[in-house]
Amino acid sequence: MLFCIHAYAENSTSPHDLVLIANPDSRTPMSISRETARAIFAMRQRSLDDSGAAIEVFVLPDASPVHSRFAKQVLGIYPSQLRLAWDRGVYSGTGQAPNQVTNQAQMLDRIANTTNGVGYVEREWVDERVRAIPLR
Amino acid sequence: MNASAQYRYDKRRWPRRLSCLLPLLCYQADSSLAAVNNLQIHGFLSQTLLYTDRNHFFGADGNLSADYTELGLNASLRPSSRVLVAAQVMARRVGDSASDGSPQLDYGVVDYQPYTSASANAGFQIGRGKLPLGIYNQTRDVAFTRPGILLPQSIYFDRTRNLGLAADGVMTYVERRLSNGTLRFNFGVGVPLKDDDVERALGFQGHPTRIDPKASMISQLQYEHDGGRVVAAISTARVKADIEEIGGRRLDGEFYFQPIIFSAQYNAEHWNLTMEYALRKREFSGLSNPALNSQVTGESAYLQYTRLLSEDWRWLLRYDLAISDRDDRWGYRQSEVSGSPAYSAYARDWTTGLQWSVTPRLLLAAEYHYVTGTFWLTDRDDASKRWNLLLMQMTLRF
Repeated sequence: MLFCIHAYAENSTSPHDLVLIANPDSRTPMSISRETARAIFAMRQRSLDDSGAAIEVFVLPDASPVHSRFAKQVLGIYPSQLRLAWDRGVYSGTGQAPNQVTNQAQMLDRIANTTNGVGYVEREWVDERVRAIPLR
Repeated sequence: MNASAQYRYDKRRWPRRLSCLLPLLCYQADSSLAAVNNLQIHGFLSQTLLYTDRNHFFGADGNLSADYTELGLNASLRPSSRVLVAAQVMARRVGDSASDGSPQLDYGVVDYQPYTSASANAGFQIGRGKLPLGIYNQTRDVAFTRPGILLPQSIYFDRTRNLGLAADGVMTYVERRLSNGTLRFNFGVGVPLKDDDVERALGFQGHPTRIDPKASMISQLQYEHDGGRVVAAISTARVKADIEEIGGRRLDGEFYFQPIIFSAQYNAEHWNLTMEYALRKREFSGLSNPALNSQVTGESAYLQYTRLLSEDWRWLLRYDLAISDRDDRWGYRQSEVSGSPAYSAYARDWTTGLQWSVTPRLLLAAEYHYVTGTFWLTDRDDASKRWNLLLMQMTLRF
């Protein structure tokens, strides 16, 4: 498969575009850099600002096509690399694994009910319970 | 606090020791990522079968052996956003080694991160931490983080594994995000672990020797480019230990081990290429018998290619070279001086293997090594020059 990075852009309109989402009450900035997004989903970033407020990361299963598209298109990382990064953190005492949800509906529920929740869904799923965070 | 394991292990005792942990391996959460108030529990079990046609390795000696088992159980918790507490107990049983299956604290740390922002973080770990040497060291005993069953023995040698495995002390880290990459720096000071294998490997011709690790240091600078497409690292350590001969003439010397490892890796979607090169300086000094004082620099290098054949199958091809002494690459001088075979001073290892991820929780692997030289064996001197090693491994995880 030809791999190209397609960072989410403001004018992108496909309902299947992937969007990074956060709980509206979270301290997540209005936009974040792709390198920071990579660090969040690789579980190397425990907080987003110097307040030290923790973030809770949610992901879909490794085998989910939505997860794979998010990893490749938004983060520019292969899902296997993410899995390896989590494993290396968990088994060396330097990090934890993300919370896994089964589908996008559950992703929305968990983000809406977790103060510092961060995750992703396809654009058509975004509703008023969560906040979309554009990548800059 | 590393209880020196009894060298002699009892085959009948070991399953009972571990049986208390086994129910935990059957623990099933709703998902593999159990998180209850961010308490996470994970574990793994690997059982390996080995066959060697000649030499003695991991309990195999010209036969089939099942004496290679790895079992780990860890828990981690974030009581506050700046603190991570994590510990892992590991039981490792390897034939003919100090790893007798008794549970050991593999790591146990409190990680405090006082500085954090969107583009950087910095903190330190206190306790027993795994050492960031090269690409694979920190999770070297965890099968699904390895490209194959055995890591390249030239750098991740198992003969004196404990000296480079973990240390009791403090590890500081700084991570900085750049526009399309991340720079990471680790610096640590601590006392490395030891076990009977280390004492056997560093001892002098059968004299029982006591090795006392002293405060040592380690550092690693790592750069990850474009989400890990390119990884480059330099790792260095300066490990110090006191040497004392037990019984007979007293030796009060020092042993220094100073490896420097250069690592480079390219990750594409379906393949990756890894190269690591190391210089390993070993120095004995202050020994009462001046003939035993020496300074030797060894050399290690491997080139490794892995390819995804399908979603679940990965193929590995590797060439690995270990040299005991750069100034005596093929061991001729050593052979003249000590009478040991020249080929005990090096090892060339061609490896090919397959990993099959049957399910996310089950990994099967098979691997074949064609080795020339016996440098990384425990009983180097009466071993054959050319030998074959075949391994099969099953790993369960949760």
